Amino acid sequence: MGTVETKEEVTFKLNGIDVTVPKGTTVMAAAKREKVAIPHFCWHPGLSVAGVCRFCMVKVKGRPKLEISCNLEATPGMEVDTVSDEVKDSHKWALEFHLANHPLDCPICDQAGECGLQKYYMSVGKYNSQMTEEKVLKPKALDVGDKLVLDTERCILCSRCVRFENEVTKTGGLGIFDRGDRAIIGTYGDEKITHNYQENLVDICPVGAFTSKEFRFKQRVWFLKEKSSICPGCSTGCAVSIHAKPEMETYFRVKPRYDKKVNGHWMCDKGREILSGLDKKERLENSYLQDQDEFSTCERPDMINHLNSLLSRFRGKKISLLVSAQYTNEEYERLFSFFVEKMGVRSIFQWRSKEEKLNDFDGILLRGDRNPNTRGLLDALRKFHILKEVENEFEACLTSSSDLIFAFSPLLSSSFSSFEEDLARLSKLKSCVCLFTTSYQARDYIGFNSLIPLVSFPEKTGHYTNYKGEKRELEGAYPSFIHEGFDVCELVNELDSNIKASLRA
Amino acid sequence: MAEHKILTEFEGIKDSRSLKTYLKHGGYQALAKAFQKKPEEIVALVKESGLRGRGGAGFPTGLKWSFIPAHIKERYLLCNNDEGEPGTFKDRYILELSPHMLIEGMIISAFAIGAHKAYIYTRCEFYEEIKWMNEAIDEAYKAGYLGKNILGSGFDFDLDHYIGAGAYICGEETGLISSLEGKKGQPKVKPPFPAVAGYLGKPTIVNNTETLAVVPWIVNHGASAYKAIGTEKSAGTKLFCISGPVKKPGVYEVPLGYPLKDFIEKEAGGLRDGVELKGVIPGGLSAPVLLPEEVEKVTLDYESMASFKSMLGSGAIIVIPKTQCMVELLKVTLDFYHHESCGQCTPCREGTGWLANIMKTVMQAKAKEDCYDKMYEVASHMEGRTICALSDAAAMPTKAIITKFKSELLNYLRRG
Ligand SMILES: Cc1cc2nc3c(=O)[nH]c(=O)nc-3n(C[C@H](O)[C@H](O)[C@H](O)COP(=O)(O)O)c2cc1C
Ligand code: SF4
Ligand code: SF4
Ligand code: SF4
Ligand code: FES
Repeated sequence: MGTVETKEEVTFKLNGIDVTVPKGTTVMAAAKREKVAIPHFCWHPGLSVAGVCRFCMVKVKGRPKLEISCNLEATPGMEVDTVSDEVKDSHKWALEFHLANHPLDCPICDQAGECGLQKYYMSVGKYNSQMTEEKVLKPKALDVGDKLVLDTERCILCSRCVRFENEVTKTGGLGIFDRGDRAIIGTYGDEKITHNYQENLVDICPVGAFTSKEFRFKQRVWFLKEKSSICPGCSTGCAVSIHAKPEMETYFRVKPRYDKKVNGHWMCDKGREILSGLDKKERLENSYLQDQDEFSTCERPDMINHLNSLLSRFRGKKISLLVSAQYTNEEYERLFSFFVEKMGVRSIFQWRSKEEKLNDFDGILLRGDRNPNTRGLLDALRKFHILKEVENEFEACLTSSSDLIFAFSPLLSSSFSSFEEDLARLSKLKSCVCLFTTSYQARDYIGFNSLIPLVSFPEKTGHYTNYKGEKRELEGAYPSFIHEGFDVCELVNELDSNIKASLRA
Repeated sequence: MAEHKILTEFEGIKDSRSLKTYLKHGGYQALAKAFQKKPEEIVALVKESGLRGRGGAGFPTGLKWSFIPAHIKERYLLCNNDEGEPGTFKDRYILELSPHMLIEGMIISAFAIGAHKAYIYTRCEFYEEIKWMNEAIDEAYKAGYLGKNILGSGFDFDLDHYIGAGAYICGEETGLISSLEGKKGQPKVKPPFPAVAGYLGKPTIVNNTETLAVVPWIVNHGASAYKAIGTEKSAGTKLFCISGPVKKPGVYEVPLGYPLKDFIEKEAGGLRDGVELKGVIPGGLSAPVLLPEEVEKVTLDYESMASFKSMLGSGAIIVIPKTQCMVELLKVTLDFYHHESCGQCTPCREGTGWLANIMKTVMQAKAKEDCYDKMYEVASHMEGRTICALSDAAAMPTKAIITKFKSELLNYLRRG
């Protein structure tokens, strides 16, 4: 907010340089766009203006007092200065006031390394504190929600969290109680925050007042790598970044990225749970072949050979694909161009959770369709002229009397309520079933012909198309620590070239 | 100073609060006159009269009224009867003398700005005044001065009395609005100003009790009659309430521009016997203290006070005797602002606490001599940086006391 978009434009001077913005834009928003850093704590582009931290002071030529830029509309000809000594002095002092009663817990605070107070101390502070008097003490480590811990002493009372509760979730769960330097952030009485958007409070809190129970004390943030991805948790497909420590082969946390048309600034807590499915101990690490009612591991080349020989063996027989809507557009394209166009496969079934309420929507972000790429799958099926006729395609697949089924399981079994039941039923089919999956659980179902481990979404490139047709990229930034894992496109390429070779031979 | 009894007209009159008495003295005739005019004519009249807000800031009243956007029809008028500025007890005097004067002023003002609903916001400590005000409102409703189609004018107007819990910050106009809306009494960030988006997000005019109570007189006697009183830029009379060791502490009405020295000596009867003057806080606790030599020269108007780097404020004159310890005065001053800061703006929240904390170390003989310089610097960075003027109200008297009484403050430390 802070920006009302209209066609009309205004031009004003920001540190002597002409800047043109839509009428109604605040100086703060304009400066952000121009990459002019104005220090701020309470302003957040996704929330209403509070104007309480008084940090973002700028000088407008011809006006007697400094003014906050977050509530200052840029007007034609206005000359704004953000760098003069007077302005800098105001920033330094605003910071000193913020730190006056701050406990300086940095050594034991999760926020250290990404804390507004630390950041600004380096950029606008660097003074010797004059505060030698006793500090106000306030309650620490309060349990205020199933995902949240609150330290009221670290809180700088910017009110972002209060506004989030009022404006985004509209749950009004937080308030600022008492006055002056006794003011304290908290929930009403013994109430707890229970909604599905709690971790956003951790994200927007500029200091370490709100910390995440899940992430608390797990890792120093400066050791984490951060890569862009898309949340596969539902058909909204929020833009996220995934924070990991590759050398530890561990994913640590998920944070939302701003995407105006998809998720704005937020994501839901369900979306943060995707990490549990990426945990190494949850994942299938090797290829498995069934041999006399037992699975035994095999090397990647052996698995490719095995799949090739299956394809030759079942040539002319009924081959089916069972796919969930959790793969990328590129994967569908590659799969269908090979199986449909080369191998003549006509039966492709969508693997869908039984209990999914497809049209549910929580009014904020989370959708009942817990697949990130239902739209992409439908588009691909249409492109390859595969008709979708039946309601329950999983059942249809089971009764299709296919000879060979290539089953591409959901990658996020955690959000797939019927996953285990489905595996059990699939594994009991007479057909020869090759299961492509990321899930370690698959090993419990002995009836599969083979288990092929896949890399998961932060480890592969491609696109998802969300429920309203927005196409977004997976940057595939992390090397998979499932070393034996296959990338679907690469695997199909190999099968394809082997088929070509065998035809030529 | 008996010549201008505008607000104190009912002083010494028996049963002065009753509608009967008010009517006998020409009450509600200004209202009838006002209904003969167009609302914008009344706004123009108040503008011409030179009336400035009596709540502290001295903002031109008619000008404020004209800020209401024409296209929004739902509007509110709020009477700020919170009277929170320490030392101030002049608005309650209007309720004591003639609550109908305020009611009439509010009906006319509401008519002028096009509001059909108004609230008087009074602090709960004014126990008697609340009762008197409520009785007057009841009388006015019964007599048809409030309610539907007042005096056959077609103008409907409802007036309610809201009792606050007694927080200084609820006297700040947007803090008052928040409180009236049922929220925590916290000022709102401006813009938007209340005249554009105030109570319930609608255009709202907040005026001080004294400001509104003088409107009937202006309607009755005309703008130029009012402007003829006082100085060129500070028109009219004002109520001043004087406390401290004077012979006759109390509320007095004088024309603006009246010399402070005369006020103390003639109106308040001079200092009590044997009392020597150390200084005067001229406009409520927030106003910077004046030294005796400044008291000699300053006059009671906005401009003169500003030229002595103080302010007329609410008109609360606090006389300080030689025997008053300035360390203690500074301490109680800062304890007050520390207690009353609403806490949303960082410089005010942290600054008021910090200053009060330093004073604590001074009293405990734990402070170093440079503590006053530190206080001065802290106070300087609290000024002009916040949502409302409470932060300034804490900073200004602090700086003035430190500047003007530095050696006494330092001696206090040296004495241990
Ligand atoms: C901290 C603070 C307290 C205030 N308290 C009062 C008050 O008690 N009564 C009052 O009339 N104005 C008070 N004011 C001034 C109001 O904000 C506002 O300016 C005034 O009510 C406007 O009325 P006027 O234009 O008639 O003066 C206070 C201002 C501040 C900053
Ligand atoms: S808890 Fe964090 S977000 Fe909330 S007011 Fe405090 S500092 Fe701001
Ligand atoms: S709303 Fe959906 S896509 Fe967004 S974070 Fe939650 S589960 Fe992920
Ligand atoms: S200046 Fe002080 S009292 Fe006024 S709004 Fe800010 S914190 Fe509250
Ligand atoms: S960012 Fe502008 S006042 Fe806080």
